[in-house]
Amino acid sequence: MESRDGEAAITLAEPRQVPVVIAGGGPVGLTLAALLAHHGVPCLVLEADASWCEGSRAICLSRRSQEIFGWVGADRALTAKGLSWVGGRSYFRGTEVLHFEMPSEPAERFAPMVNIQQYYVEQYAHAAALRAGGVAVRWSARVCAVRPRTSGVEVEFQTADGHTHRVWTDWLVACDGGRSTVREQLGLAFEGVQYEGRYVIVDIEQDTRRAVERLAWFDPPSNPGSTILMHRQPDNIWRIDYQVASRDDPSEAVRPENVLPRVQAHLDMIGETAPWKPLWISIYNAKCLTLQSYRQGRILFAGDAAHLVPIFGVRGLNSGLDDAGNLAWKLALVLEGHAGDALLDSYSSERVRATRENIAFGAKSTEFMAPPHHGFALMRDAALRLALVAPGVRSLINPRQTSPVEYANSPLNQPDDRGFAGGARPGMPAPEATLLTAQGSGHLTSLFGTCFVVLYFSSNATRPTQWHERSTAARGGAAALRWVRVAAGGAPDDHSVVDELGQAWQRYNAKEGTLYLIRPDGYVMGRWRGAASAPKDFDAVLRCALKDNSHE
Amino acid sequence: MNSNQIELIYTALAECIARVGEPKAPLLLATLAFDLLIRQTDADTAIEHILQAERLTHV
Repeated sequence: MESRDGEAAITLAEPRQVPVVIAGGGPVGLTLAALLAHHGVPCLVLEADASWCEGSRAICLSRRSQEIFGWVGADRALTAKGLSWVGGRSYFRGTEVLHFEMPSEPAERFAPMVNIQQYYVEQYAHAAALRAGGVAVRWSARVCAVRPRTSGVEVEFQTADGHTHRVWTDWLVACDGGRSTVREQLGLAFEGVQYEGRYVIVDIEQDTRRAVERLAWFDPPSNPGSTILMHRQPDNIWRIDYQVASRDDPSEAVRPENVLPRVQAHLDMIGETAPWKPLWISIYNAKCLTLQSYRQGRILFAGDAAHLVPIFGVRGLNSGLDDAGNLAWKLALVLEGHAGDALLDSYSSERVRATRENIAFGAKSTEFMAPPHHGFALMRDAALRLALVAPGVRSLINPRQTSPVEYANSPLNQPDDRGFAGGARPGMPAPEATLLTAQGSGHLTSLFGTCFVVLYFSSNATRPTQWHERSTAARGGAAALRWVRVAAGGAPDDHSVVDELGQAWQRYNAKEGTLYLIRPDGYVMGRWRGAASAPKDFDAVLRCALKDNSHE
Repeated sequence: MNSNQIELIYTALAECIARVGEPKAPLLLATLAFDLLIRQTDADTAIEHILQAERLTHV
């Protein structure tokens, strides 16, 4: 890892007032800081630990998360270091019962899933935040008291020297993890369930040439009765997760003398014979917990401070990054006076909905990976055997990886045009497409992440005059509205991209004149078949939606 | 049957096994299996299912 020594000079000495304080400098807090800085919003990050995390922790970043990193220019470091999945294999005892492929083609912007240690994610987000400017990160600064007021929040924190400091902020975002101090200060409690089944998680360093696959063994000869997961990480690191029996004492289960023989037995079984050494050991049990709302006045919750979902399906950090991606532009618009604070209620409603979906999928995965009772244990044993002869059953073994959640019924969604027979409805993530841009080969999602975008599907280089004058309205930052023509052919320019492969027109179910309004976080806000049904003034649509979205 | 339907059945049967309890689970499953087997088109098919299940228990 690189040093973070160079940061000291730009750390604020003792700010008295900042627009946004982020409690927690983990991957979600630092990514949110980078996104806010990208939108021109200064913020102060308070992190209780002295530096980036130890241990691999959250290890799989989805394509959506890589896109969010792309908004702040942190994607290159991430993809250069990370290892792209090529697929996955599951074994029952000694027999393979599931094999899935996740091919990533050179033309794709990002791989479907990348393995990378959480400390690198934190490092790259931190660097992006510092590059953008306006971000101060205080390490070894523990939030100890939170006092909500009508017009802001007073935050008290303690530094390593034992001193207590106070800072006043317009908005406090709690990204301080599963044991959130902010949540505790507000007296808020999670709702949901915790599962009994525990997994020991181990990082080891070992040379390997094995493909980058999600590997799972059920009841393997190396560890009878257990379930083992393995993921290759950068720097010759294996992340190994194995289930321990419910009767096992968790504090005993993580002792090296209990862990290392089990790891050795498994490496022997799969033929990984190179010398190895353990780096980090921890323990985990699946939880499906969430707050009812992610907004309490001027305090917002994101990541593990807002919700805890099982690791199976890699929805933890990825959903936290989606929280940050959803919240940053809304907070920027509110702070800049382009939106009423009701816009932040849509952050809560959209992301709570996403959590409910993640929890539903995560619970299903947990029922298979850590059966909560005899019924599920027996059914899993049956399904693993039946998978040998009945391919239809194999979908049960699939870990149901994360995918972007649709914000159905979002107050920001514009009424859908009935003229569409496909494409992406309002509330859905805008589809990706490989395109030709003025800078060469590119991707449609590269247009997102900064401001609102109108995609105008047309072969006519001249935009209809009804929208011509309006497009120059004085809106800046995340509130800006950028028009991009998606042409079926011809040459690209600064305002037009060319859909050479026809992917965009097909995936957006476009016809000549189709318009899509895309939010700064890459979600479809509205779509229209053509000039007849489209708004005459898109600025007015945004003004209306952003100033008051509490009417639905 | 699609994957969602398979998952629905998987969960329903798992919960049912838990409801009747471990001692009565064999009776539940035998009743269920017998019911489904007598709905097969012929006895040979049913017998083949029984033998396949027997083989899989030895995996």
